[in-house]
Amino acid sequence: MARLLTGLGALLLLGSAVLPAGSAEAQPKTAEPKPSSQDCLACHGDKDLKRGAPKPGRRDSLFADEAVLKASAHAPLECVACHRTATAPHDTPLPPVQCAGCHDKVRAELTGGVHAKASGQAGAPACASCHGTHDVRRAAAMTIEGCASCHARQVDVYRGSVHGRSRQRGDGEAATCSSCHGAAHGVLAKSDPRSSTYHLNLPRTCAQCHADPALAKRHNIPIANVYQLYMDSIHGRAVTKSGLLVAANCSDCHGSHEIRPHADPASRINHANVPATCGACHAGILAQYAESVHGKAVAKGVATAPVCTDCHSAHQIRRVEGAPWQLDVIRECGSCHKESLRTYRDTFHGKVTVLGLARVAKCADCHGAHTVRAVDDPASSVAGANLVATCAKCHPGATARFAEFRPHADPSSKAKFPILYYSYVLMTTLLIGTFAFFGLHSLLWLPRSLVERLRRRRGGEGTQP
Amino acid sequence: MSEGRYYFRFNLYHRILHGMVIVSFLGLAVTGLPLKYAQTGWGLGLSHALGGPFTAGYLHRFFAIITFSYFALHLGYVARLIILRRPGIFWGPDSMVPQPHDLVQLGQHVRYFVGLGPRPRFGRWAYWEKFDYWAVFWGVSIIGASGLLLWFPTFFALYLPGWIFNVAIIVHSDEALLAVGFIFTIHFFNCHLRPEKLPMDPVIFTGRLEEEEFRHEHPAEYDRLRAEGRLESRRADPPPRWLRNFSLVVGLSSLAVGLVLIWLIIATAIR
Repeated sequence: MARLLTGLGALLLLGSAVLPAGSAEAQPKTAEPKPSSQDCLACHGDKDLKRGAPKPGRRDSLFADEAVLKASAHAPLECVACHRTATAPHDTPLPPVQCAGCHDKVRAELTGGVHAKASGQAGAPACASCHGTHDVRRAAAMTIEGCASCHARQVDVYRGSVHGRSRQRGDGEAATCSSCHGAAHGVLAKSDPRSSTYHLNLPRTCAQCHADPALAKRHNIPIANVYQLYMDSIHGRAVTKSGLLVAANCSDCHGSHEIRPHADPASRINHANVPATCGACHAGILAQYAESVHGKAVAKGVATAPVCTDCHSAHQIRRVEGAPWQLDVIRECGSCHKESLRTYRDTFHGKVTVLGLARVAKCADCHGAHTVRAVDDPASSVAGANLVATCAKCHPGATARFAEFRPHADPSSKAKFPILYYSYVLMTTLLIGTFAFFGLHSLLWLPRSLVERLRRRRGGEGTQP
Repeated sequence: MSEGRYYFRFNLYHRILHGMVIVSFLGLAVTGLPLKYAQTGWGLGLSHALGGPFTAGYLHRFFAIITFSYFALHLGYVARLIILRRPGIFWGPDSMVPQPHDLVQLGQHVRYFVGLGPRPRFGRWAYWEKFDYWAVFWGVSIIGASGLLLWFPTFFALYLPGWIFNVAIIVHSDEALLAVGFIFTIHFFNCHLRPEKLPMDPVIFTGRLEEEEFRHEHPAEYDRLRAEGRLESRRADPPPRWLRNFSLVVGLSSLAVGLVLIWLIIATAIR
């Protein structure tokens, strides 16, 4: 008990001694007075002042530039405010400066962060790595150079990205390191579930800016409600509802530091690069697609050939098993294959799909989806010998004769479909002929019948035998 | 109520079969037109109202079965008359077969329309009534046959080339348009909506004609029956009140459905 009391007393004493910290007179029990900055600069103002013995990892010069000091955030401070144990002169090297002596709050922020964890390791950032020493600046005045001193590759890539370039143009709204990673002191590793860049958290991080339609308008971003669309998509639901690390988040398609606009040929979402980007996860589909007529055309540089996003969309990707998507994609095929869609809509298949029944043949059911090939390609599912098997998928018992049905017939083409053309002409003639004859018949009868009714009403019964 | 004398024009069998024609024809039109007009708002709406294209297709086939049934029942009726050696089935004043006097009466009727002659003295079946009859005969055969082809394509492909289904699609759709258009305009006008009959002629439901109406519409038949002394055998009691009400409700409802459909078709065509 006695020992405990003495301990407490000592603590109290220490507390009262430390409280007015930072001022020279508070230094406990030192006989010599604290040297002023002028005292220090008497020696350290000499540009040629060097260490007696070189120390690994530290620079040799012991020069302190007063001009730099006076321009820094610490301009009002005396040297001893940081170099607390300094005497003038001193023979032994001073211990490293403890920033936390004043910046106590920062120590709490750093705790648990990846930078603090790393601080314990060799070559890890100390305060000075980012903030400098005598040239220390206010946080607001710091640039990505501070990050670049360690993360050079990432910052270099970032400089070429749409965010980096916008910043260089003076766009203060464009994302910089801390916009996504958070404040540097508390920054967490990407693998940390609490990190703003953790796979499951990233959509919300991007949404800080990209959920705002006004921001999209200001920056000419074509899709204003991208966050809402993504969150409703199969990827968004998998990430946010199912917590799947394998489902695509923003950076899986757009990249992280290297985000570029889609028109940029180096962009991961550039038309030519979309298959590879999606294929990073959907490898099996990419292999099929690469062999398809669409895939080959894209590989040849045909800008109008469809890539994944043309049919599946980018941010609104839906389950392909659902009827709404299956029926909408018919229209998507028809946006290029206009004539095929028009003739398809004349058939039972084409009409009933308009009304919402997805059970019947749609484009991909006959032609294949990712495997689609030109109809003159012998490997096509609608070519030659393959056609009967394709029909038989829905019509078991289909024969070669059955497959003579033309799903894209055009009755208005006399040259290509003479029988249909004449059937159509015959039916139309019959229709017009019947209505012309009886239409006229009725028109002539109408006034006569009116007269008859009036006469019968007026004349009463029995006028007309 | 001042009741005149009534005579039978249609027997119960005729009336039941025409009832089946009304139900199945309206049913086929209501369930088939949404598919033909799938690209219009009303086509989509009507399809949804019917429970979607799957259900509409199901109902369409159900009404097709009614159609095939009345067609078979009528053929059976005619076959029975033939077996009973009933005279005048294929020729004569009671026959549905078009005959030279029909052409003559058409000419006379047109002259009457423009005021160049008296009203022709029609017999039991006026020429436009014969046309109606054969139009149904033709329509059921053509639309029914093409419909069956499209209903059982794999079966018919065993015997027919596949392009027949392309023809069937055109024929089924265009002939149906002809049938619907004809019934909902020409037949409606000739039999129900022309001023003398407006709003409707209930004879197909009651089976009975008032003497005055009989002598006006079918004078030749009236005179012939009287001359042959058979008029009294056709005498009927006045239609009971329930039957007249039934005729009005069913008849006017059917007219309304038909007129709405033809209005939609015409509106789509001229849009």
